[in-house]
Amino acid sequence: MSSFWVLWRKELAGYFLSPVAYVTTAFFLLVMGLVFYLLTGILAAGTPGVGLMNLMFGSPFYWMTQLVVVPVLTMRLFAEERRMGTLETLLTAPITDTQVVAAKFAGVFSFYTIMWIPTALFLVGLQAYAAESPPLDPGVIAAGYFGMLLSGAMYLAIGLLCSLTTSNQIVAAISCFSLLILVLFAGFVEYLTAHPAARILTDLMAPHRHMMDFARGVVDTRPVIYFVSVTIGCLFTAVRLLESRQWR
Amino acid sequence: MIVASHLTKRYPGRLAVDDVSFDVGTREVVGFLGPNGSGKSTTMRMLCGYLAPTGGTARVAGYDIIRNPMDVRRRIGYLPENCPLYPEMRVDEYLDFRAALKGVPGRKRRPRREEVKALCGLTDAGRRIIGNLSKGYRQRVGLAEALIHDPELLILDEPTIGLDPNQIRQVRELIRELGRRHAILLSTHILSEVEAVCRRVVIIKDGRIAAADTTERLIHRIQGACHVHAEVRAPRADLLTALREWPEIETLEADQDGDWLRLRLRGPAGADPREKIAALAAARGWPLRELSRESGNLEDFFVSITREQREEQPGHV
Repeated sequence: MSSFWVLWRKELAGYFLSPVAYVTTAFFLLVMGLVFYLLTGILAAGTPGVGLMNLMFGSPFYWMTQLVVVPVLTMRLFAEERRMGTLETLLTAPITDTQVVAAKFAGVFSFYTIMWIPTALFLVGLQAYAAESPPLDPGVIAAGYFGMLLSGAMYLAIGLLCSLTTSNQIVAAISCFSLLILVLFAGFVEYLTAHPAARILTDLMAPHRHMMDFARGVVDTRPVIYFVSVTIGCLFTAVRLLESRQWR
Repeated sequence: MIVASHLTKRYPGRLAVDDVSFDVGTREVVGFLGPNGSGKSTTMRMLCGYLAPTGGTARVAGYDIIRNPMDVRRRIGYLPENCPLYPEMRVDEYLDFRAALKGVPGRKRRPRREEVKALCGLTDAGRRIIGNLSKGYRQRVGLAEALIHDPELLILDEPTIGLDPNQIRQVRELIRELGRRHAILLSTHILSEVEAVCRRVVIIKDGRIAAADTTERLIHRIQGACHVHAEVRAPRADLLTALREWPEIETLEADQDGDWLRLRLRGPAGADPREKIAALAAARGWPLRELSRESGNLEDFFVSITREQREEQPGHV
């Protein structure tokens, strides 16, 4: 087993040992359960034009969970190691800085993915109890979850970067929260100014619009490239930042 | 095992390590001695690949620390200062994780773990959570971790700091034992520690090497600067006249304590006037109730080292 997988396993297992992760997961599932409750109500009322996935990934509830869950999951990644001094033992083991960043990111991303699995049970339940012919389109569901994972990867990478800059978990969480708010609000810039650049910026960055598209089953390459490139950019910066300890 | 040549580390506005060269042979225990903030930890961090040197380099087991950092890391067991560990993990869990990270193959991990636990006195502590362990046990876990991949070289940064005297003795015992199979570079600011376990000493002060020699010779040099105490019941004038003629005594202080004379003597390096004092007292029939030699301490030693350097400087220029 290479160093990457060893560290990945340790990171993932670490979440299952941590009460913070359980409390966060409970909060997340509570909110998503509420979303599902509202969703069944709307479906039962037969309101036309409301997509199922749109309610899951397009509602303010979804953003609320992201803004809480991502900072809390990522804040400990490096800040805790730095505070405990274990960063030194970790970075003097035969593992490259790139592997450390990649394994920590993969660990938190895996936990994030696992956290979403119970929401799939909601859909299974809906399928089982729906009176009429099934309203669920597997393609749309897959697109919705795909978009959620991609955007989630970007938020987690931003959180990882924040955690690397400090030895204080609270500072890491709050700076991550602020950056996520900024990213989210970039999608509303066009309402502030009529400048054509604002329009372009909004089209490119607006994560809420991208999520609406994914939730409708539209997988556009532009948001895919946006999420993936920002993720890689953040992780690359994280590696450089970690290496910079050697020269400072 | 280590060949450090001209290692230098410059922080903004401060030279932490300045042109440090030394070497550590196979199965040699070398003490890295210096006051706090003298650059010991920085030098060790450079050797382990945590920091990059600003200048100079070092080879560990033949591998360059800058060009082949992974090969170097695989051969070093490093215990940083204050022994950082993950408090939420169990001892076995932690050792297994570190063994895997350091590339110990899967089927060898368990026997190796039990082996180092036995060596470090942790056999019964495997299921305990690290956060609940005492400082002494944590230090042992740190040592066990450093040993887990059977490295050729151990780098231990102040391994006995914060331990009680019993634990210090145990750790020193263990280090001496380990010195038979591994090369060890050990930092400390306690002289007796070096005396107890190290064959050679490198003394670092303000980022520079102040002295490097075998422990024996250094201790000898230190003791030259030491004092002899004596308490003799003798007529003051007779005693002082007799002692002043001796070449073994450079300075002499005498306090009166009733009938007794309390003497404090200082002699040149290597001198030991105790035997002569005892003989003198016996010959003259003076009662002698104390005769002792103060063993060297680091403070004295630093004073003597820096004084020596100041005296040498004009000659070099």
